[in-house]
Amino acid sequence: MSIAIRLLGIGLPVLLAVALSLVLFSATGHDVHEVVLGVTEGAITGFGSFWQTLRWTMPLLLIALGFLFCLRAGEFNIGGQGQLLMGGLGCVAVALLMPGPAILVVPVAVLVGMVFGVAWSGLAGYLKVRFGADEVIVTLMLNFIAVLFVSWVTTGPLKDPAVRGETASTPTVDSALRLSGGDGMSIRLLTIMALAALVAWLVAERSRTGLQLRYAGEAMEAAHWQGMKVDRLKLTAYLLAGAFAGLAGALEVLGPNGRLVTGATPTIGFTAIVVTIVGLSRVPGIIFAALLFGGLQAAILFLPIVSDLPSSGLKILEGLIALLVTAQLILRRGRS
Amino acid sequence: MASALRCSEVDVKFGSVHALNDVSVDYEEGRIHALLGQNGAGKSTMARVMSGVLAPEAGEVEIFGRAVAPGQPSAVQAAGLDIVHQRFSLPPTFQVAEALEFASARKMGGALFSGRAISRAWGMKLSEAGLRVDPQARLSTLPVEKVQAIEILRALSNDARILILDEPTALLSPSAIEELFGQLNGLRDRGVTLIVILHKLKEVMALADTVSILREGRLVLPPTPSNDLSEEKISELMVGEVAETGSPAPAGSVGARQAICRFDGVGSPGLGSEPGLDSVSFELAEGEILGIAGIEGNGQRSLAELFAGLRVPTSGRIHLGDADVTTSDVAARRAMGLRAVPFDRMVEGASLTLPLWENINSWAASAHRYGRWPIVSIASMRKHTRAALDRFGVVYDTPSQVGGTLSGGNLQRLILARELEGSVTALLAAQPTRGLDFAATNFVWSELIRVRDGGAGVVMISSDLDELFGICDRILVLRGGAVAGEFKPPFSAATVGAAMVGAGA
Repeated sequence: MSIAIRLLGIGLPVLLAVALSLVLFSATGHDVHEVVLGVTEGAITGFGSFWQTLRWTMPLLLIALGFLFCLRAGEFNIGGQGQLLMGGLGCVAVALLMPGPAILVVPVAVLVGMVFGVAWSGLAGYLKVRFGADEVIVTLMLNFIAVLFVSWVTTGPLKDPAVRGETASTPTVDSALRLSGGDGMSIRLLTIMALAALVAWLVAERSRTGLQLRYAGEAMEAAHWQGMKVDRLKLTAYLLAGAFAGLAGALEVLGPNGRLVTGATPTIGFTAIVVTIVGLSRVPGIIFAALLFGGLQAAILFLPIVSDLPSSGLKILEGLIALLVTAQLILRRGRS
Repeated sequence: MASALRCSEVDVKFGSVHALNDVSVDYEEGRIHALLGQNGAGKSTMARVMSGVLAPEAGEVEIFGRAVAPGQPSAVQAAGLDIVHQRFSLPPTFQVAEALEFASARKMGGALFSGRAISRAWGMKLSEAGLRVDPQARLSTLPVEKVQAIEILRALSNDARILILDEPTALLSPSAIEELFGQLNGLRDRGVTLIVILHKLKEVMALADTVSILREGRLVLPPTPSNDLSEEKISELMVGEVAETGSPAPAGSVGARQAICRFDGVGSPGLGSEPGLDSVSFELAEGEILGIAGIEGNGQRSLAELFAGLRVPTSGRIHLGDADVTTSDVAARRAMGLRAVPFDRMVEGASLTLPLWENINSWAASAHRYGRWPIVSIASMRKHTRAALDRFGVVYDTPSQVGGTLSGGNLQRLILARELEGSVTALLAAQPTRGLDFAATNFVWSELIRVRDGGAGVVMISSDLDELFGICDRILVLRGGAVAGEFKPPFSAATVGAAMVGAGA
């Protein structure tokens, strides 16, 4: 199928979702014009808005790239959220506890964050490959465990004594270790994102492992007959997914958040799954989809300032996009 | 006696395959009729036509003298015919009584019913039929012969007076088969007409009043009293007249050649309904095509998977050349020059959803054909794909089109192009020409002969005797997972066929 038709296949549902939500907004008595302006301002045109869009694009893009590998291998690893949190945990522990110059601590903290993500995802992958456990259930449950574990850490061993009230968090890491200022984005983070996307593209589309991953995912029996080590390939996909999600968690800590916060970005790991699917499981597509959803996320946070539309209105739009794109993909699969 | 079921001039085509060709048959009431034939002879198609699941292109089905509308299972059921499929139809997670209530035309309860009431009602039915089964047991916990008996009860509770059983013995142990035959004889004595699809001659002789045989979609033997038939006659009719020739370019004496692969007393557990191997020993020599004959489901899949390295035997050793490869995996064996054309080209042979260049190259990438650097060049893969596909005469537009766009013949050519690359020492070809047209079949045969003449050893598994007799230098017959005979040219359909069905055994 040509790329143009595939793009149309994604573009139409997205436009339809936008149209539907605008109808909904206007039917519930909101000023559609104001909402559109608000979203544009919050995501693109406002002062620092695009910076905010990129700030939210970052975790979405990284987790979505990781999820891509599992999807290619035929594994529905929905544990991105938990892997993100564990990555953040590993990173913040190093950043808070390891002495030394930033040039040493930062790489170690990022690396440990990735290792935590890898371990969390690898655990699910091992259970799937070794015992045939259902990966959807295992990764979903590991998400809950990660959430609770992080909330224990932030209220216990790594609790910030200065914070009172609802939000539990670790202390803020030393500002010398931060990769961005308070606005959450920086050239350094952008460079890391670009490098990560390049690596993901190389591994997924141009490497031995990437090709075999896809083959094992699409045609497991044929892969067996051709001597591919299907279990090992699937496990590799989990490890890659964990590395990317762990990186996302580490960058959240060293970048925008500056600390590990309980309850921050509770749905980002799931939105990332939608990003991969809307991005047609291709790296360039995922970059665009991550920008789209990153922009929406930025707008969600900005919109209440200028419009009376509650931010959940834009959540409806997100949901509609996911629903219609998935429906369109399923319809087409059913026909072919 | 009166006619129970009559089919006249039934014709069914699947694409270019003539599954049933002008079949007319008349089954008398109150007898047990065995319907025989090799795989692909049209038995299951016939069963689907008779039970109304499949509407034939031409022809009529009459039940007790009344024509029934084609392709309407409910009309056929109402006329008194039911079928017990080889794959059971009752939901395995249900309790026995629930499943029977769910599947039966005559309900014991109403739209809303109490579980206790239906288990009492069906429990009585079960014990009337002499079945000692707890009506509240889950079907999945019962042994297969009980489930089958319940399936039969399900059919009879719909007032079936004609019952078709599709390979009812396939999953049963010998003692369970005896029990089943007792049950069927009891039904016959009560006036039920039974049409039983069977494979094994001994079972036919033990059970059936009449025998009818399908071969290549034609009825080659109308229902004939089994007393008038010999096992030899039946096996001859099943496998048909086969030109008794040796291979077109016969290889020299096998003994003088080096053994390429050796099975020593290899045993393995069964696979689903298929038996595993039972102490199989043979040698594959260089420069020969060794045919594996046998009725499907007699251990061929186990043999293929053990040969290719997909599974490890529970006993015995496998040697490739001088090396013991008993526990080596597929990749290790491929590195030693062993290749395989699997049974199902659309599932095991290739991916229908991935492009041709990936189908050709995905395994080669791991074999370092494209260098040791982890990043590989897609351009060179595509170039290589074009060369390989052109060499094997695959008709295609671009290496980017997906596997599913190729016809069966072209897909098999693609698989051969992939498998025959590099130095091949041993090749497994499992049902390599099934479903292919004349030209593609000839191409596959000529490639196998070319591989053999290049000095490799070829194992060809086939259920088509014409094919085996046409190109094999030697034939082993598999029956029940064991080698039931070894034959050298000139081959005779009578003796090979007898070994396949176990005549005189």
